[in-house]
Order: sequence, then structure tokens, then C-alpha cells
Amino acid sequence: MSTAGMALRRKDKSAATLAEMCSVRLGETLFGVPITHILEIVGSAHPQPVPLAPSFVGGLVHYRGDVLTTVSLRQLLDLPPRVGSQDILVLESSGGCFGLLVDSVGEVLTVSSADYEPNPSTLDERRRGLFAGAYKLEKSLLVMLDPERLDPMRLGQGKAA
Amino acid sequence: MDELTREFLIESQEGLDRMERCLTELEERPQDAALIGDIFRSVHTIKGTTGFLGFKRLEKLAHSGENLLGLLREGKLTADRPTITGLLQLLDGLRSILKSIEAQDNEGAGEDAALIACLEELQVPAKAQVKHAVRLRAGAEAAQAPAGFVSRTQEGESSAPEAKPLPVLRPHSAPLPGAAATNAPDRVEELKTPVAATIQKAQAEAENDSAKPRGPGTGPAAGTAAESTLRVDVALLNRMMNLVGELVLTRNQVLQATSADPNMRLLSRRLDMVTADLRESVMKARMQPVSNIFSKMPRIVRDLSQSLGRRVRLQVEGQETELDKSLLEAIKDPLTHAVRNSLDHGIELPDVRTANGKDPEGTLKLRASHEGSHVVIEISDDGAGVAVEKVRQKAIERGLITQERAAQLPERELLQLIFLPGFSTAAAVTNVSGRGVGMDVVRTNVEKIGGKVEIDSRAGKGTTLRMRIPLTLAIIPALIVRSVGQSFALPQGALLELVHIPPEQAAASIEWIEGAPLYRLRGKLLPLVFLDRLLMPGGEQKAVNERDNFIAVLNADGRQFGLVVDGLADPEEIVVKPLSAVLKEIGLYSGATVLGNADLALILDPGSIALKAGVMMSADEESASAAEAEIDAEGTSSLEYLLVEAAGRQAAVPLADVLRIEQLPLSRVEYIGYRAVLNFEGQLLPVEDSGGVLVAAEGNPEAKIIVVVCREGNRQVGIAVSHVLDVAAGGDLFEAGTSQRTGGVTLLKNRVTGVVDLGSVTPLPVEDGAQEVVGEFAEAIQ
Repeated sequence: MSTAGMALRRKDKSAATLAEMCSVRLGETLFGVPITHILEIVGSAHPQPVPLAPSFVGGLVHYRGDVLTTVSLRQLLDLPPRVGSQDILVLESSGGCFGLLVDSVGEVLTVSSADYEPNPSTLDERRRGLFAGAYKLEKSLLVMLDPERLDPMRLGQGKAA
Repeated sequence: MDELTREFLIESQEGLDRMERCLTELEERPQDAALIGDIFRSVHTIKGTTGFLGFKRLEKLAHSGENLLGLLREGKLTADRPTITGLLQLLDGLRSILKSIEAQDNEGAGEDAALIACLEELQVPAKAQVKHAVRLRAGAEAAQAPAGFVSRTQEGESSAPEAKPLPVLRPHSAPLPGAAATNAPDRVEELKTPVAATIQKAQAEAENDSAKPRGPGTGPAAGTAAESTLRVDVALLNRMMNLVGELVLTRNQVLQATSADPNMRLLSRRLDMVTADLRESVMKARMQPVSNIFSKMPRIVRDLSQSLGRRVRLQVEGQETELDKSLLEAIKDPLTHAVRNSLDHGIELPDVRTANGKDPEGTLKLRASHEGSHVVIEISDDGAGVAVEKVRQKAIERGLITQERAAQLPERELLQLIFLPGFSTAAAVTNVSGRGVGMDVVRTNVEKIGGKVEIDSRAGKGTTLRMRIPLTLAIIPALIVRSVGQSFALPQGALLELVHIPPEQAAASIEWIEGAPLYRLRGKLLPLVFLDRLLMPGGEQKAVNERDNFIAVLNADGRQFGLVVDGLADPEEIVVKPLSAVLKEIGLYSGATVLGNADLALILDPGSIALKAGVMMSADEESASAAEAEIDAEGTSSLEYLLVEAAGRQAAVPLADVLRIEQLPLSRVEYIGYRAVLNFEGQLLPVEDSGGVLVAAEGNPEAKIIVVVCREGNRQVGIAVSHVLDVAAGGDLFEAGTSQRTGGVTLLKNRVTGVVDLGSVTPLPVEDGAQEVVGEFAEAIQ
């Protein structure tokens, strides 16, 4: 369960709280990442592929003097790779920084905890592990991503185990 | 912990390090009053300051040591072996308390009564004297008051003449007054802590001065040295190093981006030079002489040789060689271990040595020296050497290799087996070594910092362990290679040579044994590893005869192999960036870097590639070194030469002097007047063009030239050539009639070939530093 999602849910009982989510477009789905976890958004990047790396690794990018490992959300969701540049969300997790490769970054949405729902039980296990519930927006759903669960370290361990 | 205590800890540790050095020296020269004076001062300073800071346990221990040292200094005791052992124990005692203060901010609960008793016992012959001295000091301490400083200093000096009647300590009595005066700044500094100012101390100084008169300049010079140095946090230096690394990257990018723009050329060249200077300065700031760790060795050698019953003489060379602080830390343990090994396994017991016709006293040599971009540290002993047969047996016994394999392996390779985990040939486990966790730790530690370990041993003659340590961790020279459409960085350290096989020759040059590609490198089979096949196992590869093949001949931990890549780019100095754990797990990459063109490149790890591709250690070097040994033995001059062709004529360049071969566009060559020069990152290389290669290519903007970069004394020179043909051993030629060996020519591949005289290349004008040259440069361009 996402820390952000959990906090929001607990407060749900008293009064609905508001939170800001950065919206991210990938294929047909709109995803959300809590802006508190985002360090920076890097536009139109061309990550350098790493031969023999686990498939979820989207490659390396140069970020402020460091070499940042990126996670490809498309690979994680078994979507076909995208031709052309992608945007990168530089996220902070307990294990350090990493980049999340997405098709495009949209606007920041303010969501209310009253609209939160946990992952549906029909979702397959892998996706259940990656998503942290969803917010019901007016016209669509905002599927929440939890930076902690997307950390390449954790994904790597999950794969090994 | 407050600032004062921290400072005290640092100072005390430095004092104790000095004391340790002096003590081991004192054992050889027990009469050296200057040494005793030094040791006394170290302990005295600690004692004085501890009293001030309220560390009672430390004070008590230091006090008893000081009493003993006082007697030594007064000549009432001689520094015999038990005394020095006692003092070394005192040193360890003081160190452990300091450690506890550093860790937990208190002195710890240990009990020093036994040690104190031991120290007191050592001063028995002059017990009465001690009491006297104690009373004297007690009186002095009672009179402590801040106002007493100046008068006490004077008192100290005035007491100097009182010391005069001691003739033994003062071989030169004449310089005394002068020496006392010039040393006043020293003394005033030491008097900073009020407790340190005792009469006894002043006397100590006076006597010490009289025993060893210093030159009139030394005192004040030492004072200014203290003022001109500064303690800096290592973390800050690390950060500076990172930032400089960033600057190097940016510079590389700027250089590439502006190379076409003549207006930017001068500016970017200036940026280039400043960056290079800055990098050097920051790196220098992190440098420390190896004497910092070498100085710990006399003590270890002393203690061990006593407990093992060996007689060992330690020789140290190249103490002033400098190495990055972090690297120095990293080799401390491997070095200690190697020294222990030499004493335990290497040097035999005195009677065994005598029986073998050797000097009963063994020699252990520590040597540090620069070798290119590495520092080489050698630990050699003249002991029994490693018994290769024993190694073979042990390796089979422990199941490290199979019997058949062991029978095939040449000696040199068998020797390297001792670096495998779980290997030890010691008959019994001693408390020194033999647990089989030795040499592999040495190797892992050294390899962790990008270094290499080699062992060389001759039965009955001795063993030499060589550690090759890179000068710095952060920036390494690398060759950029291309494969699978990407750039990769290959550390130059592992690169031996490059071979280009064009597509039309590939089918004939690359041979296969059951799917294993091989290349005949000067008659020897070299296993090949195709980088693209390794990186993309399932991917589509072009056949070797449909593409250019570049073989990078690599040597990784004694394994020699050729890594086949699709293309070569320029060599670059790269800044190593760490990789995330997920990518480190792949095992092929040791890091990543940002190239001059802002591309990212993964740094390949030759050792892991060799392992992954199953390359075994080669016997090549064994035969090569054997051949070399033969040459040495015969004393002939059969050197290897690089055979080059310049404008249709063949010439030879001594291979030992060749640093690298550069292929570059003609436009890179610039001129100062008529002198052709090349600019390599701010370093100017004069290019010799006796063959007229540059002239011939003039006017063709596309032309590429080849420059052989050679070492000539301390400088580097370039030789412009049109082709590099081969490497061959030169034969001697003799003048008809006189039968004297001819100079300047050699017999290469049965042809008489002229040897390029590197010394004849005129040096560049460098009167007023490099900046002037660039000034001239600019004029030459405009």
C-alpha cells in the first residue's frame, strides 16, 4: 500500500483531504505520482540502453553529474516499446534516486481522498503489486504509482525471488 | 566531542606515530639522544594535554612512561630491548585509550596497573632519581599560573647552560646558545598548553638541542611550515574531486563542440589547461607519501621477527612516492598481510639460512615507485621462495584444480593459485598466518581499487609480491570502443594492443576450433571474445567478413584475450560514475561515464568479461618472461622494435619507448614556426617529420596521419609515419672489419633498418612556462 494512499485513507473517515498528483500518460492509461516524491521532470530524454540488464531497466541517463538508472513503465506493463523520446520523472525512494520512463508528463491534478479506491481484485497480481489504488476523476481514473514499489532495487529483488 | 578533544586526538595520534617510528630506529641506535628526545616529547605532550582535559587514566599511563623516558634521556638507563618492548607496550596502551576516547568519548574501563608496574620495573636501577624528578615537577606544576609563561620560557633557556657540564650529550658545545635561540618559536608553540610548561621540559629541549645542533634556519622554517598548512576534511576533498570530475566532463564536451570554431579555440584551450591544472592540484591535495603506511612496518617486522625467531633487516625505498589518500588506506591491510607472509613463510630461521649458505639475517625490502599511471609497491624477501611443487599438491588436495590441469600449468600460473580463496601452504596454522585467508584477501583488496597483484618467486632465492595501484580512482584513461551500436569505455590499464582486421582478411585471420574463435597474434593463439555476441546473446550478428573487426588485446588478472569490437573511437580520460546495484549485478560493467560528446558509456570490466567468456589464464607471459630472462642472461641487445613506414622508407622505433600510436586528422597538427606540434589536452607534443609524411599529406583536408608517441627521457615526442607495419625483434649488426656492434641500425626481419633517434628531436621552447607557448601558438594560428 502506498504511503501516500494509506495516509489519505486513514483521514478519509473524518474529512476528505486534498493531495497533489502529477499525472502521467502511458498508452491509454492516466497514472499519478505524488508530487512530494518527484525531484525533477526531465523532458525528451534518450536513455542509453544497458545490454544484459533486467528488462525493466529502461537505460541510463545523465542527471546532475550522476548516472541515473531508469525504469521503463512500458516494459513493466508489457507494453510495446515506444519509438522516440520519452519523459523521465526523477523519483526519490528509500534506496536512492531513479528515473521513471513515461510517454509524457501531464498537468498536476488535485485529488480528494474521498475519491480514492484500492486496487480492484480483478487486477492481475503483478499489476496489483505495482499500483497503489486509483482516484476517480470526473472522466477517467487516475491510477496511482508508488515510487517505493518501482525502485529498481526492489524490482530486481522481486525478480530474483 | 568538543573541538579541543578532537584536536588533541589528532595531535596525539600523530605524536604516537612519530614515537613508533623513533622507537624502531632507537633499537638500532640506542645512543641517539635526538631520538629519545623526540619520543620523550611525544609522551610528554600527551601527558600535559590530558591533565588539562581531565583524562586521568591516560595521564597516569603517560606519566609512568615519561619517567622511564626521562631516565633514558638523562643517560641513566640504556635503551635495551626489554625497555623498548616496554615502551612499545606503552604506545599500544596509549593508543587503545585514545581509540576509546574517540569512539565513546571516555577513556574506557581498562586497567593499566600491570603495564605501569612493568614500566616502573624498567626504571629500577635509578629509582631514587625518579622520586627526585617527580618532586621537582610537582613543584613546578604547583607554580602554574598563566602569568608564568614567559618567565618559564626564559627559565628554560637559562637552564640550558646548566646542562653544559654533561659532556657526553653534547659533542658540539659551541652552537648551543644559537641553537637554543633559534628554537624559541618551537618552544613557545609547545608551551601553548600551560601544563606543558615545566622546567623539566625546557631542560629536555636544551639538552636535546645541545646533543644535536640544528642549522640556524631550521627553527623558524619549521614554524612557518606549521602556519602554511591546514587540516582539511577528507569529505570536502572528495566533493572537490567530484566537482573537478564534472568539470573534466564539461571540458571534454566544450572541446568537442568548439573544435570547429576558430574563435572559440583559444578560449577552449585555456579552459582545457586550467581544468587540467585544477585537476592536478586537487589530486595533489589528496596525495600522501607512502611513508605513512611504510612507517608502520618496522614495528610489525620487529614484533613478528621476535615472536617467530627470525632475524630480519627491513629496507625501505621510495618512501616519498605519493598516492591518493583513499588508495593508501585501502592498501594498508594487504601490505601488512604481505609483510606478515614474507616473515612467516618466506624468510627462514637463522640456522636454516646459515645451513643454506645465506646471511642469517634475512632482508625484507619494501619499494614504492611510479610506473606510468600506476604506483608499484614491491614487497620482496630473500627467503625460501614458494615451492611450486607444494603449491601444485596443495591445490589438488584442496580441490582447487584437477590433477590433469595441474600437470599442464606452467610454474608462473601455478604460483598465481596462491591467490585463490582457501589456499595456504603453511604446514601449521600459526597466529601469524596459515589460515588460508591470506593472499586472496590481498588480491581482492587490491583489485577492489583497480590494482593488480603479481607474485614472482624462485625457490631458495626469495619471493617478490608486486602491487600495481592506480594513481587515482576517480579519473581513468580509457579507450572508447563501439559495439552493438553503443559506446563502451575500456580501461587502458588492461589494454595491451589493438589489432585491426578488415573484412576481406577476417576469414583468413580468425580461426575457429569448434566454435571458439582464435587469432594468431605473432604466432601465438589468442582466444577471442566477440563483445556483441556477449552482450546480445540472441541478437543478429554480422559475420566477421562483413564488417571491420578490431581486436583489443586485453590482459585481465593474467588472462589474455582479444575482445572484438565493431569500432574504435578516441581514447579519453573518463570520470568513473558508480552504477546502481541492479546494474552492478550484471557483472560486466564496473561503472558508467559521460563522454565528450555527452553520450553515456558503460565501463567494461575486462576481468569479468574474461570470467564470463571462460578465458583461462594464459601461458603466454610465462614464455615471454622466460625469453626476456634469457636475453638478460646473455646480455645481448636484441630489443623489440616497432617497424614503421614513413614515405616509403622503413624505420624502427624501440618498442620500449613507444607509449601509444595515434591516428588523427592532419588538421590536428599545428605549427610553431616550422615546428609541427600536437596539442593533447594542454600538453604539447613535438612531432618529428623526417620522413616528410606531413608535407606529403599537406593540402588534403581529409588526410589522416599516424603519430607514434614515444618516451624520450622525461619528455614525449611524436614521430609522424605513414604506416605502422609490425613489431619484431631486432638483430645485432656488426661493422665489417672491426666487428663492433653498430649503432642506429638494426636487423629487422632480415632487413637492415634504421633506428629513429628520439634524442635528436629538438625540444620545444619552454622558457616561461606553457602559457607562453600557447601565446606563440595563437600567433602562429593567426
